[in-house]
Amino acid sequence: MSFLQDYVYYIGAFGLVLIGLFIILSRRNLIKVIIGLSILDTGINLFLISVGYISKGTAPIFSKPGLVAEDMVDPVPQALVLTSIVIGVAVLALALALAMRLHKLHGTLDLRKIGELKW
Amino acid sequence: MVSPVLLIVIPLGLAFCVPLIGMVSKRFARFVPVVACLFNLVVSVQLLPAVLSKPIVVDLGGFGAPFSINLFVGPVGILFSLLIALAGFVVSLYALAYIDKGPTTRYHTLYLLLLVGATGVVLTGDVFNLFVFFEILCISSYVLVAYRGDKDGVESAVKYLIQGALGSALLLTGIGLLYGLFGTLNMAHIAVQAGSADPIPLFVAMALIVVGLGVEAAIFPLNAWLPDAHSSAPSSISAILSGIAIEVGLYAVVRMVFTVFGASSMLSFLMFLGVLTLLVGELCAFAQSNIKRMLAYSSIGQIGLIIFAIAIATSGSITGGFFQLVSHTLSKALLFLAAGYMIYRSGSMDISSLEGMGKRMPLTAFAFAVGAFSLVGLPPFAGFPSKLLIIRGALADGGALLALLVGLVLLGTVIEGAYFFRVIQTVFFKKGDGETARCEAPAIALVSMFVLVALIIVIGVYPSLIIGVLNSAASELLVRADYIGRVLG
Repeated sequence: MSFLQDYVYYIGAFGLVLIGLFIILSRRNLIKVIIGLSILDTGINLFLISVGYISKGTAPIFSKPGLVAEDMVDPVPQALVLTSIVIGVAVLALALALAMRLHKLHGTLDLRKIGELKW
Repeated sequence: MVSPVLLIVIPLGLAFCVPLIGMVSKRFARFVPVVACLFNLVVSVQLLPAVLSKPIVVDLGGFGAPFSINLFVGPVGILFSLLIALAGFVVSLYALAYIDKGPTTRYHTLYLLLLVGATGVVLTGDVFNLFVFFEILCISSYVLVAYRGDKDGVESAVKYLIQGALGSALLLTGIGLLYGLFGTLNMAHIAVQAGSADPIPLFVAMALIVVGLGVEAAIFPLNAWLPDAHSSAPSSISAILSGIAIEVGLYAVVRMVFTVFGASSMLSFLMFLGVLTLLVGELCAFAQSNIKRMLAYSSIGQIGLIIFAIAIATSGSITGGFFQLVSHTLSKALLFLAAGYMIYRSGSMDISSLEGMGKRMPLTAFAFAVGAFSLVGLPPFAGFPSKLLIIRGALADGGALLALLVGLVLLGTVIEGAYFFRVIQTVFFKKGDGETARCEAPAIALVSMFVLVALIIVIGVYPSLIIGVLNSAASELLVRADYIGRVLG
C-alpha cells in the first residue's frame, strides 16, 4: 500500500502518457490523434510536477512564520510545466488549424484515406 | 566586445517587428530577415577569434552557473551560429524574389523565428532552455512547411507535426527524468554528476532524449516525416530545413551524447545507425523521380554520414564530420535553391521535366551542378576534403570493422554519384521538346546562389581556412572536463 502511496503520481502520469501514445498510434481520425497528443502532454506535465512534489507541501514563499524549506515543493518543475503548457497549447492550436485546412482540401479527416505522399 | 546574447535577442525582436513593419509596407518587411541575418553574421565573425582562444560563458540573470540559465559559446556553438547566419542570409536574399505570393509577412516572421530557435539551441548551456528553443524551431518549421496551403503541404505538415510533437514529448520526459535524478538543468552540472549516477535511470533518460531529438535530426528509423516535409515546403524553406534544421537536431544529439552524458558506450551504436541511415537515405534517393524528394532523401544520407564520422570519436574523424556538415549545409542549400527556380520555370517536380534546363537557365543549372558535384565529393569542391578527412579519420583508427563500414560509406557515395549524375545528364545533355527560350532566375536569386558557389569552391580549394575552427570544435566535444570547468569555474 505504501508503494502505491509513494508512486501514485508517477503511475498516474505514465498511465496518461501510455493512453495518449495508444490513441496516437491506433486511431485513424486526425482529431482523435490530436486529442491523444493532448493527453500525452498532460501526462508529461503531471510527471514533471510530481518530480518536485512533496506530500502536503506548500508554495515556496516564506509567507507564514515557522515555515521551513523542507516543507516546500520544488518550484523549478512548476516553472517548467508552465512553459511546457504554453508550448503544448501552441502545438495544439496549430494542429487543429492544420486539421481544419486538411478537411477543407481532402474532405475527410481519416488518415488512411489521406495518404497521397508515399515513400 | 559584443555579447553573444544579442545573437538571439536581436533576431527575436526583429521577428516580431516584421508584422508591424508589414502594416506600413509589405515590400519593406521582407528586408528584415536579411538585416537580422547580416547582423548575426557580423557578430559571429567578430566573436570568432575571442571564442577560439577561450569559450565565452554568459550567465543570464546575474546568478552563478548552476543556478542561472547560461549560454555557452564555444567553438562548436560559434561554428553553428556562423553557419546558421550565413545560410539564413543567403536564403533570405533568395526569398526576396522567390516568396512573392501568399501571406509574405508571416513567412518572414516565422523564418526569423526558425533561425532564432536554431541559434538558441546551439548556444544554450541549459537542457530545458534547449527544449524551448527546439520547440521554437520545430513549431515555426511545421507552419512553414504548410506555407503554400496546398494538399501536399498541409498533409506533410500534419505528419511532421504529429511526429515532431511525439519527439518533443519524449525529449521533455527525458529532461524531467534528468531533473529528478540530479536536481539541476545545467548541462555542465549534469555532466559532473552523470558519472556517479545510477546507470539504469540515466540510460532511460538518455534514450528518451536521443530518440526525441533524433526525430528532428532524421536519424533512421525516425525520418519518415522528412521526405514529405522537405519536398512539399517552398524551396527556400526546404533549403533551410535541410541545411540548418536537421543539422541543429544532430548537434543536440551529439552535445547530449558527448558532453552531457559522456556516453562512450553509445557511440558504436550511433556509428552503425549512421551507416544504416546513410544507406537507407541514398538507396531511397536513387529510386525517386521527384527532384525535391531525391534531394530530401539525400539529406538523410548525408546526416547518416555525419553521424558516422562524429561517432567514431577521434579528433580527425570529428573534424571530418564537422567539415561534412559545413559542406552539406552549403551544397544542399544551393541545390534546393537552384532546383527551386528550375521547378518554378518547368512547372513540375519531375526530374524528366528538367530536360534542356542547361540551355534555358545556364547559370542556375551551373549552380545546381556545383552543388551536386560538391555533395558527391569531387575536387575542387567543398565535399572533397570533407569526405577525404572522414575516410582518413576512420581508417587511421584501424580495425577491420571500421574498414568495412568505410566500404559501406563509399558504396553510399557511389549511389549518390549515380543519382546526381543522372540529374546532371537530364539537365545538360537531354534536349527538352518544349520551350527553348532563355528564362534565367531573377538576379537576386542568382546572387544568393553564386555566393554559395563561391564559398563551396573557396573552401574546397583552401580547406585550411576553416580547419582550425573545426579542430577546436572537435576538441571541445572530446574534452568534457574543459566544458565543465569553463561553466562551473
